[in-house]
Amino acid sequence: MNCKAFIVAKVSALVVCASATGLSGAKSITLPPDGVQLTASALPGYAKAQANCVACHSAEYMVYQPPNAPRPYWDAMVKRMKMVFNAPVDDADMPAIVDYLVKTYGNEQAK
Amino acid sequence: MPDTTNRLRRRLLAGGAGALAAGGLGTFGRAALAQASTIELPMANGKRNIVAYPEKRPLIVLTSRPPQLETPFEVYNDGLITPNDAFFVRYHNAGIPPEIDGDKHVIRIGGNAVGKPFQLTMAELRTQFKPIEVIAVNQCSGNSRGHFSPRVTGGQLSNGAMGNARWVGVPLKDVLARAELKNSARQVTFDGLDFALLGGGDFVKSLDVNHAMDGEVMLAYQMNGAEIPFLNGYPVKLIVPGYYGTYWVKHLSEIQVVDQVYEGFWMKPAYRVPDNDCACVDPGTTPAATRPIGRFTVRSFITSVQDGARLRAGQQTVVRGIAFDGGQGIREVAYSTDGGQIWRVAKLGQDMGRYSFREFTFAFSPAPGNHDLRVRAWNRSGQSQAMEALWQPAGYMRNVVESVKVTAA
Repeated sequence: MNCKAFIVAKVSALVVCASATGLSGAKSITLPPDGVQLTASALPGYAKAQANCVACHSAEYMVYQPPNAPRPYWDAMVKRMKMVFNAPVDDADMPAIVDYLVKTYGNEQAK
Repeated sequence: MPDTTNRLRRRLLAGGAGALAAGGLGTFGRAALAQASTIELPMANGKRNIVAYPEKRPLIVLTSRPPQLETPFEVYNDGLITPNDAFFVRYHNAGIPPEIDGDKHVIRIGGNAVGKPFQLTMAELRTQFKPIEVIAVNQCSGNSRGHFSPRVTGGQLSNGAMGNARWVGVPLKDVLARAELKNSARQVTFDGLDFALLGGGDFVKSLDVNHAMDGEVMLAYQMNGAEIPFLNGYPVKLIVPGYYGTYWVKHLSEIQVVDQVYEGFWMKPAYRVPDNDCACVDPGTTPAATRPIGRFTVRSFITSVQDGARLRAGQQTVVRGIAFDGGQGIREVAYSTDGGQIWRVAKLGQDMGRYSFREFTFAFSPAPGNHDLRVRAWNRSGQSQAMEALWQPAGYMRNVVESVKVTAA
């Protein structure tokens, strides 16, 4: 389903907007808040990831990746979010986001 | 979340009685009892939250938003039917309608290869067609991905993204017959009410028209005698028996019969497997060609004893488990208690249909020491499980012979 207009209005409020409106025959749903947050970091990509990634999906997508996930994986994922899912990621911000991700969750983590 | 914690604890204690009788609560049970709000899955970086989502008991959270929830493995020992409130959840996009009116919901049937496009309300679906029923396993393509070695990226699931349910609905064939398919019909696409937040990557799947018209693919409106839970696709879900869950589109709202192969993102490049007999490649390599993922491979699991369990030496235990495949039906399950050197035939339980979980049992009287329990199933066309794990970059279709290590004293 393509509900772009609907979601542009709702995107930031999705978690809380799902309250019951009580129509008969309707089933409504309220989803729990995110259970995991991005790991805070001094890397410049951290704030950019906060702004660009978790606006649309929760942090487990990154946090739970296997620790051997290499830089090309993170690079491909950030590009996929823009190219496939229309995430409004500035090309100039991509290297910093990828750098934060691979150094925080991937195979360039400090041992 | 004291209420959630207590409910999980009570459930674990209640369910644990059987596990204790069968020889002890394994590492999972003890970990969950100690701290019910998290679980450590047996993989690096495997710590997960356990949270109760709407209409669900506390489940293992793979992702919060959109929700992806995994069934705690001990549920599979409670019975062959997976309860609705324990059934796994897998969304692809975070656009989930906050409300769905089951009375007003309509399914639009159209596309460039139908003569008569039309709409179907839920009431019409329920009353104007002859319902069918099937007990069928739904399993996520990436079930068990977290156990791949070397590890692969993607959703890091353990073995809980599968479930077996009794589905009631209408054959897709009967619905499509009303649309008067043209000779040019090649594929059928399926879309649901869930949507991509920014418009790109809407979750749309397709089946070849011959598959869609096989009489088994169905539009289900009932799951285990109740409405389908919201997070499993209320009010109507596509059921594709024997096929991975990626095709089981939730909140089904649009069906299009088209004159070409549909190649949206979720059909290509997503959900593809190596196009060879084993759907596998050498670890770390890229397949030369791929095809859309299809039927389940054969799998079997011991459910009554968890890895790491401690059993009483010399005391007979009945070990229980489940086996399933992509629709041939399970013919035989063999078991080994010595790591795969000697195999014997397990006893099969009731046959609930070729798409269902099939129970198996075997008696085990452990001598003191360590034991490596393994089970291996065959289906009716002779397909079985890999003795050594197969590998593919996307981490789909895992079906290695599992090992459950126990200690008897």
